[in-house]
Amino acid sequence: MAGGDVAAPKEHGKKGKKRKKGKRLGVRIDFTPLVDVAFLLLTFFMFTTTMSRPQTMEINLPPNKEQKVEIAESNLLTLRVSDKGSVYWNTGLDAPKKVAAADLRALLREKVQSNPKLVVLLKIDRMGKYNMMVDLIDTFGQSRVERFSLAPLLENDKALMAKVQS
Amino acid sequence: MPKFKSKRLPVRIDMTPLVDVGFLLLTFFMLTTQFKPTEEVTIILPSSHSENKLPESDVMMVNVAQDGRIFLGLDSQHLRARLFGKENELKASVQVDKSQLANYMVQARTMNPKLRTVIKGDREAEYGVVEDIMDVLQKTQITRFNLVTDLARSVE
Repeated sequence: MAGGDVAAPKEHGKKGKKRKKGKRLGVRIDFTPLVDVAFLLLTFFMFTTTMSRPQTMEINLPPNKEQKVEIAESNLLTLRVSDKGSVYWNTGLDAPKKVAAADLRALLREKVQSNPKLVVLLKIDRMGKYNMMVDLIDTFGQSRVERFSLAPLLENDKALMAKVQS
Repeated sequence: MPKFKSKRLPVRIDMTPLVDVGFLLLTFFMLTTQFKPTEEVTIILPSSHSENKLPESDVMMVNVAQDGRIFLGLDSQHLRARLFGKENELKASVQVDKSQLANYMVQARTMNPKLRTVIKGDREAEYGVVEDIMDVLQKTQITRFNLVTDLARSVE
């Protein structure tokens, strides 16, 4: 903008008077404030427009609760989560073992690879956090666990977990 | 630099196109901005790696606050008026009791069969509440639903 007429960006010579009058004064309107406000509004809208939508995770439940699905013990991996977030796993009717959060994904991947028909049963303590469920289902997705099921964590499950700790 | 140019011609820049484009952009944003409805309750979302997007319309949202309160929300003001009464039609979601939840959801789905159910829970909410909600969903034959999450940024 080398030495330009920066103060008056638009030279809009608005000559409102008709030619009937003898002398016509040249009227120069400075549009700087108008453009300023326009750009301010633009900036405001640019910052407040939300273009992105929140993400969701898809869950499909079985249609009927009463339906019992028969699964062979060897194809069932049970994950029990305590209210503090510790995860215990076992296949079939074996005794549960504790697994650290960081190792869970590797463990699941290994199990799924060795047994493609694996079904994972997830039981979370009611006093646990909702975040735990989302995290675990997310981990399932990352470990390619295709079939999983949710079940309530009952008293005998809690007893089993307590036994492992001792 | 003491060397001055002998003659300096006045340079006038016509900024009309700049201002034109500015106004055009402004008009675009003014017409496309949608303001987020004020939330009844603040919810901090858990994170996941799922990249599915929340559907734009026909969403029935079950909000679960950190303390376990349940708010049922619908994105259509018309539906809200019919379901919760005219006085509640401007609220994004209305607090409901677990016992009333099934009733409201079935009513909402009868009014709009295309409604998609979404659970938006706070990450620190008790899992038990969400387990109950999912039970209600199963009983009312709503078998497909989504959980709203934040996109986890880390690459694991």
